[in-house]
Amino acid sequence: MSKVLFVEPEKCTGCRSCELICSFIHAGEFNPLRSRISIIAFEKTGFSFPAVCQQCSVAACMEVCPVGAISVDEATGAKIVNHAVCLRCKMCTIACPFGATFYDADHDLIIKCDLCGGDPECVKHCPSGAISYREAKTANYNKRRANAEKFREVMEEGR
Amino acid sequence: MKITVNGQEREAHAGESILDLCRREGIPIPTFCYHQAFGGQGACRMCMVEIKEDGQSRSRLVAACTYPLTKTAEIITESEQIQRIRRTIVMLLARRAGENPLLEELSRAYGAAHLPAITVEPANCILCGLCIHACAEMGRSAIWSMFRGVDKRIATPYDEASDDCMGCAACARVCPTQAIKVEEEDAVRKIWNKTFALVSCSRCGKYYATREELEYLSKHGDFGQQQLCETCRKKNLAYNIKTFQQ
Ligand code: SF4
Ligand code: SF4
Ligand code: FES
Repeated sequence: MSKVLFVEPEKCTGCRSCELICSFIHAGEFNPLRSRISIIAFEKTGFSFPAVCQQCSVAACMEVCPVGAISVDEATGAKIVNHAVCLRCKMCTIACPFGATFYDADHDLIIKCDLCGGDPECVKHCPSGAISYREAKTANYNKRRANAEKFREVMEEGR
Repeated sequence: MKITVNGQEREAHAGESILDLCRREGIPIPTFCYHQAFGGQGACRMCMVEIKEDGQSRSRLVAACTYPLTKTAEIITESEQIQRIRRTIVMLLARRAGENPLLEELSRAYGAAHLPAITVEPANCILCGLCIHACAEMGRSAIWSMFRGVDKRIATPYDEASDDCMGCAACARVCPTQAIKVEEEDAVRKIWNKTFALVSCSRCGKYYATREELEYLSKHGDFGQQQLCETCRKKNLAYNIKTFQQ
């Protein structure tokens, strides 16, 4: 079974180290706007959430792409964009249910998480262990049941 | 299949174009009308190379983007003659788009003579046809090449707002000379004489897509129907993880 980026928002302190390292590795600069992972900060509850591509098994971005520019990396299962084929129609960015595929207007590129080829930098640089790279199992999700109440508050604010 | 390119032997797949082989092998060939999403059109002639196939006594000039490799051959991608052809193409295109950064740069690189500018519509259009093909790939075919000869230009039928156009602007983004105008302000996007009222995010109110784009997505599956902007969809992910837990 392939590994996934597993996020534990309750551990996230909102320091944005992941955004910085991600943009640096992929775009050569420290620029959160070019990071594939983004911290969603809910100010009232002081809650931060690292939002990143879920590498869905049926991926909306891949399904809607008219030219097949998005494919599955055999080694990691990551959905990756071939920029030479991509038309920049942005359909994938509207279709992604998690807003994880987006358009970098300054560089005219569709960007999304590629799992760094199997060794995700955000995982290595998160000081609080909020992102890990592990086998996708339902058990992993159950662990966080206790935090349901916190999430409820968060979503009230999100609306 | 053995193909010699500029004196070096390479391995080609039968039937692939000269350009595909060269791209894979990292041999540069300039192009205008080629795109990896739909291949070559053989329209701009910028990709001309010399080829001498097995059994031929002399080499010929062919468009690398459309010429399929079917037998052992020798190819030359840079020569005096090829350089001259490319210089002429750049010189002619610079008449239409001389102020465009791309043509400015190429004119300099090829040492193309400066000819008086001619005014074209849309300004800077070099008629490469990439926009037409991009739109066709989107399944819309809203724009086409209209008229002939010097009057030839890319447009929607009768220059009217086309029912087929969904305002995705893929045409504008593949354009190498940025000749296609897209205007976006708050609640509207304008392209090809059509004004699109943008749909706003149901949670935060931000305008993020045209209604036609959302219709396109719904035709391709259950996509884009939450009517949420990118940021609110990210927030949705937080919510989804919550529902996972129950
Ligand atoms: S923007 Fe590129 S990758 Fe995304 S759907 Fe369009 S062609 Fe495919
Ligand atoms: S904006 Fe309109 S004309 Fe351009 S590619 Fe999209 S549908 Fe076609
Ligand atoms: S790129 Fe080959 S003819 Fe235009």
